[in-house]
Amino acid sequence: MSRKGVGIAAFDRSRITSRQFASHGSSLRATNAQALETQLAVFRSLLQQFAQTHAKDIRSDPSFRAQFARMCSAIGVDPLASSNNHSSGSGTSVWAQLLGKTVNDFYFELAVRIVEVCGATRAENGGLIGLSELRERVSKGRMEGADSISDDDVRRAVETLKPLGSYAVVTVGRKEYVRSVPRELSTDQAAVVEAAQVLGYVSVGMLRDNLGWDEARCKTVIDDLMAGGMLWVDKQTKGEWEYWSPGVMADAGTDGEAGV
Amino acid sequence: MATTTTSPPPQPQSSSSSPSFPFPREYFFPAFFTRQTNITIHHAQLTKWSALILAYARHHRLFRITISAAAESDLFFNRGIDRRLSPPDIREVLDFMRKDGRAEFLRPDGAADAASAAAAAAGGDVVFLYWRKPEEWAALVEAFVEETAQKGSVLTVYELTEGENTRGTEFHGMDNQVLMKALNILVKRGKAQIFGSEDSLGVKFF
Repeated sequence: MSRKGVGIAAFDRSRITSRQFASHGSSLRATNAQALETQLAVFRSLLQQFAQTHAKDIRSDPSFRAQFARMCSAIGVDPLASSNNHSSGSGTSVWAQLLGKTVNDFYFELAVRIVEVCGATRAENGGLIGLSELRERVSKGRMEGADSISDDDVRRAVETLKPLGSYAVVTVGRKEYVRSVPRELSTDQAAVVEAAQVLGYVSVGMLRDNLGWDEARCKTVIDDLMAGGMLWVDKQTKGEWEYWSPGVMADAGTDGEAGV
Repeated sequence: MATTTTSPPPQPQSSSSSPSFPFPREYFFPAFFTRQTNITIHHAQLTKWSALILAYARHHRLFRITISAAAESDLFFNRGIDRRLSPPDIREVLDFMRKDGRAEFLRPDGAADAASAAAAAAGGDVVFLYWRKPEEWAALVEAFVEETAQKGSVLTVYELTEGENTRGTEFHGMDNQVLMKALNILVKRGKAQIFGSEDSLGVKFF
């Protein structure tokens, strides 16, 4: 930059240039936004078209539905979020707008079934149920030629229950659970639940040897989980008592568990 | 799974021709055979046992069990996983069912009032299982009499359970004592009258 413009007019000039830059910037921003908006509109209509042409598949094919949902979330469209808590307050979710409510309702209906199953099984599992077990139970409840449900659907449906507070999908170890009580697992408890996934049960000795805890700690955690209803005691062992995860009850009977 | 829009397949349950009872999942869960200490779980456990016992009894058309003998049967003893429900625990489940009207401890003769029921509950070894309650059996008998236009006629108790005419009905071959309970309900309602002596009882329906 040259050293001219030391005079008083230089102040004016710099003010003018900065103003020009600003106005140019804002006009650029405006066109940018406009372009984006049209892009979005085009995309939206395409998505709408896509959803309409494939509405049947989305409704009937769980893997297709999952892919579609994944695509939506990848591009930042939360298909389930009702937009009345966002700025564009039309009150319905993208699902509802695109598919005439059916997919949206699908998840809400599923959520209702999930609440039912969780409530019915809470006494035996303390409000912690395996995701795939839950799916299986929910699918069993809906017979009349209903479409099949995937784990992904269950996950999304539980997501819609979030406003209720206590419902959440939690991952312990390599297994996903749906928690239906407002109780968080402590680190120790989670470790025991995880340990119980391996053989279906844990024992004090097992925890002591594998986690390196002292006996009192093992007992405390087991007692806590028992009190919460998340472990069942088996006293008819040859050696020390075993504490069983009630989820095993679901896995034992049926084979062909579709693990996802 | 493909969508099935056809009519639901007929359930094979209660067709006593199939000998193997399909045990539920919990039957293979070792801890199911130990009395749970957590009250909520314990209640869930009792409920599950109750359902299992009734389903089992319905499948095998068991009207009564002897606790000491039943404890050795596959109902309470899963030899596959070497777990059994102990007689005191069996008793507890049956008592739970009694409160629900689904079981009744056989009272020693003479003590026929409700007050002694609890006392009998503690000691009795024979238990009636009501996968149909006596009232339900009564309704079945009543419907049968109605359907076959035998109102006003006299039937023997033997005819009801063993006769040709009742073949195919639910109460064919049923336990005599349970049937008498059902008939007595009809008597109380003024729908039947029982007469005759111990071994040759007759019933007249109105």
